[in-house]
Parts: sequence; structure tokens; C-alpha cells
Amino acid sequence: MTSPWTYAARRLALAVPLLLGMSVLVFGLMRLVPGDPAVVVLGYKATPEGVRALREAFHLDEPLPTQYLRWLAGLTRGDFGLDFRQNEPIGRMILDRLPVTLELTALASLAAALIGIPLGLLGGARRRGLADRATLAIGLVGVSIPDFWLGIMLMLGLSLGAGLLPSGGFVPIAESPVENLQHLVLPALTLALSRAAVLGRLSRAAVLDVAQRGFVQFARAKGLAEHAVLFRHVLPNAAIPIVTVLALQVGYMLGGAIVVEMIFTLPGVGRMTLDAVLERNYPVVQSTVLVIGAMFMLVNLVTDILYGVIDPRVRHR
Amino acid sequence: MRNPVSSARRLGLPLAGLAIVATLALGAMLAPLLPLGSPTDIAKDLALGAPTVTEPFGRDDLGRSMLSRVVHAYRVSLGVAVTAALLAIVVGGPLGLVAGYAEGLPDQLIMRPLDVLMAFPAVLLAIALMSVFGTGALLVSVALAVVYTPVMARVARAAVLATKTEVYVDGARALGATVPRLVLTHILPNAATPILVQASVLMAIGILIEAALSFLGVGVRPPTPSLGLMLADGRGFMVQAPWMVVFPGLAVMLAVLGFNMLADGLRDWLDPQRGA
Repeated sequence: MTSPWTYAARRLALAVPLLLGMSVLVFGLMRLVPGDPAVVVLGYKATPEGVRALREAFHLDEPLPTQYLRWLAGLTRGDFGLDFRQNEPIGRMILDRLPVTLELTALASLAAALIGIPLGLLGGARRRGLADRATLAIGLVGVSIPDFWLGIMLMLGLSLGAGLLPSGGFVPIAESPVENLQHLVLPALTLALSRAAVLGRLSRAAVLDVAQRGFVQFARAKGLAEHAVLFRHVLPNAAIPIVTVLALQVGYMLGGAIVVEMIFTLPGVGRMTLDAVLERNYPVVQSTVLVIGAMFMLVNLVTDILYGVIDPRVRHR
Repeated sequence: MRNPVSSARRLGLPLAGLAIVATLALGAMLAPLLPLGSPTDIAKDLALGAPTVTEPFGRDDLGRSMLSRVVHAYRVSLGVAVTAALLAIVVGGPLGLVAGYAEGLPDQLIMRPLDVLMAFPAVLLAIALMSVFGTGALLVSVALAVVYTPVMARVARAAVLATKTEVYVDGARALGATVPRLVLTHILPNAATPILVQASVLMAIGILIEAALSFLGVGVRPPTPSLGLMLADGRGFMVQAPWMVVFPGLAVMLAVLGFNMLADGLRDWLDPQRGA
């Protein structure tokens, strides 16, 4: 019998090489960029002295393994290095922008759960009914809508058209919680809709799956009222896969946040990544991609562990 | 327990998806022959023309026909999606087959590095790859293929693991079948179905990601008509000319919906146990 703690420890141990692999990949990828990064950054202002100074300041003339180890050693101290352009510490820049991305993702997850789960449960509980068909249709259409387009449409209709909500920008929560929320409603909805569609479909499938199990049929056979069967037997058992899927969607939203932050001009980590890619600011790209990737991995890891703790069968796989 | 009615209903979904995909693909392939007008000819005096009967999608800021541009953009969308899925099958499929058949050390050596690729959100990895590759339709296909390869490898590996303990595989092995023969004639056909379903899903995602990358400016290069680029251009005019953002987005959605319906239907149809 594996205890939940052994299981969690094993999963955590597996995460370390994965994280190292991710850092090697990101580092190597950025070194594959054609051309001398110093020349790329300095652009038309590049003088031989300037290039040499930059190469020295950023240790670009060292062998790659040394550069990698230097970067890794910095990371373990929370030091992401300096930005090529503004000479700002990248760690600081990420910390400034992380709350925006986290708040956006949290609100979007909440919205996805509030829309998707009830829809799926309703659909699954009354199979082939109106709600069921609606869940299926929304599930199919919802995952097919490009989120950046949905964002533009929402902006066009609700903010530029009806003038109900701001079309972009950000107000920190400490300044004005109400305005902060107003600025995040549309981005969060944009991010949430396709995830709600996925959640709806999977919640429906989970309910249908549990509903045909023997213990549910037995509960029904012993004369238990339908709503009691649903609330006491079906839903608690369907909850495990639903929560897992919800957690996975949170991870995917971290990727989607890049596009949404760009459309709604939110100063988050996703937008920072995209700006850095467009400016060819590689030290920043390398760090933000690793940070977002690590968060994605962390969410998946926590889900895995929770799943194992709740459902002992998983531990033996 | 498969009654004819629900069977027909099940078949309806993938067939509708197939019809959408086939129509769009045919339109895209025949685009230069269709009576659409040029997707690139600039007509400044017609700029931002509203939709009319002859020009149902309206005209963009340079007076170009939006309908013609959308149809031509499907060439890029579908081309990228198909190329990426094929590349991923060609690279990921054999990797997964070998990993699943050999297990042990080769399995670890193949799958662990692929896990690293899967540890990133797909869009993020695609953007990071494009920042190295530069822009262009072929490069987008390659970036997507890199993102998909681990998915294909996992699907192929899972199919092999499930199949190779079957009695008929043991039987063939006992009769002296060589390993390549075992894998190619007995195991591979069982992996084909999940790979096909996955390819359909990945084409849907591929269309979405290509559009997103082009929209963000790290995908297809500007003179090529691309749905994502059209959306990016249209953003600046969305109040005066909403058709510039409405139609390219609907076009993306339709293609993605087609592939999703196809994938959904195939999954239910080929594996009736899963389609609850």
C-alpha cells in the first residue's frame, strides 16, 4: 500500500529533472537564435566596442555550459539576470507583472467553473434533454472559437459599442478594487469561455459515467428519490474528474493569457513575453517562458498529487 | 448495444464535420480559379466598403475583397495545419512505436525529453520557437510539429502498450514473426485509429494556433493572406468596419469546428465504448 505521502514525494522527485530539462530547452533555444545576440540588441547602434562591452557584461563570450550554469545558479537564488535593453533585473520585472497574470487566471478559472460545471451537471443529469443538447453544442462551438477573436468581439460589443466596460488597460487592485475588476471582466470572460466549454463537456461525461455504475443503480433500485441519488451518489463521485479537468484548464489559461493580455493591453507576464519576443530581448524571453512553463508544470503537479490523494487507485499506476 | 438510429446520429456529426472540412479545403485549393477577384489588388477608392451582394464580406482598408482574402487565407490555415500534423505523425509516430515496443531504457530515453516539450503550454512553446525561427508559413508548420510530436508519440506508445499483450500478437510471435512484421502488420493498425483521431484534433488546434501566432506578429509574413493577420489588420478599423474582424474570426471558427466535429465523431464512431 503506497501512502499518499510517498506518492506525493515520488511525483515531486520526478518534477526536478523535468524542470531542469525545461531550463536546458529554453536556454538552448535562445542560443539557437541566428546572429550574435549583442549585435541583435544593439541593432544599428552596434559599434565593435559596444558589442564587446555587452558581450563581457552578459558573459556572452564564455562557453555555453558555463553560461548555462551561471544562469541556473542565479535562478536558484531568484536572480534571473539583467535585461539587455533597460538593464533592469528581470526577476523584478516578472514580479511586478505576475500579479496581473495570476489575477486574470484566477478570475477566468472562477468564471469557467461557474459557467461550465453547472452546465455539464445539468446536461449529464437529464440526458438527451434541452440542457444536454445545449451542453454538447456549447462544448463543440466553445472550443472552436479563437479566444483572441472572442476578445475582440466582446470589446467591440460591450466596451466600444455599449460602453459598459473599459476596452483595455489595468488598474491595480490596491488603487481601486472596483476599477480593477471592471478592467478584468472582459479579459477573464475571453479566457474563460473555451475552458468553460471543455469543462461542461467533461462534467457531463463524468456524471454520465458515474450514473451507470452499479452503486447508483442500486441506490435507485432501493427507492431513493432521484435528486437524492444525484446529490448523494452521483455528484460526489463525479467531482474528482471534474476538479482534475478544472485544474488542467487553469494551466492552459496561462498560455492563453499571452494573447488576452495583448488584446486588452494588460501589463502581465504574457504580454511581457510577447513584447520581448518582438523586441528580440532574449534574456527576458528565456526567463518568462521558463516561469510560465514552471507555473504550468506546478499546476499539473499539484493536480496529479491531489488526484492521487483523493483516489488511492491512481497511486498504483 | 448499438441501435441503428443512434448509429445514424453518430455518423451525422463526423459527416457534417467532413463536409465542412472538405468544402473549405476544396475552396482553398481552387481559390485562384474561383470568380473571387484578387486577394491582393489594392483599390483605394473602395477602401472599407461595407458588405454588398457582390462583395458579401465587404472590403478592407486597402479596398481588397475580404471574401477573396478569407478563401485564399484558408490555403495557409489548412496547409499549415495539415503539414504540422503530418510532420508530427512522421516523427512522433515511430518514436512512440519504438518506445512502446521496447519499453525500459529506450522508452525512458525517448519519452522523457518529449515530456519536457509537453511541460510548456502549447501556445507559449510555439511563440518561443517562432522567436528563434523567424516568420513564415513553413516555419509555423515546423513549430507546430515540434509542439505536437510528443502528443503523437504518446498516442502511438499507448496504442502499442495496449496492443502488444493481446493474444493474437503473442500468437504471431509464437509463429516466428519478426519484430518489424509484428509491429507493422499487427500492432500498427491498432495505433492508426487513435492517431487519426488525434490528427484531427491537432488540425483544429493547429488552425487556432496559426491564427493566434499570425495575429501576434510571430506567424505568417504579411503579404500572404492569413486569417490571423487579417484580424490584426482589422483591429485598427473595427469600429468603422466591423466586417474586417467579424469574417476572418468566423472563418477560423468554422474550420476549427469542422475538424472538432470530425474528431468527435470519429472518436465515438471508432470507439463506441467511449462515446457515452
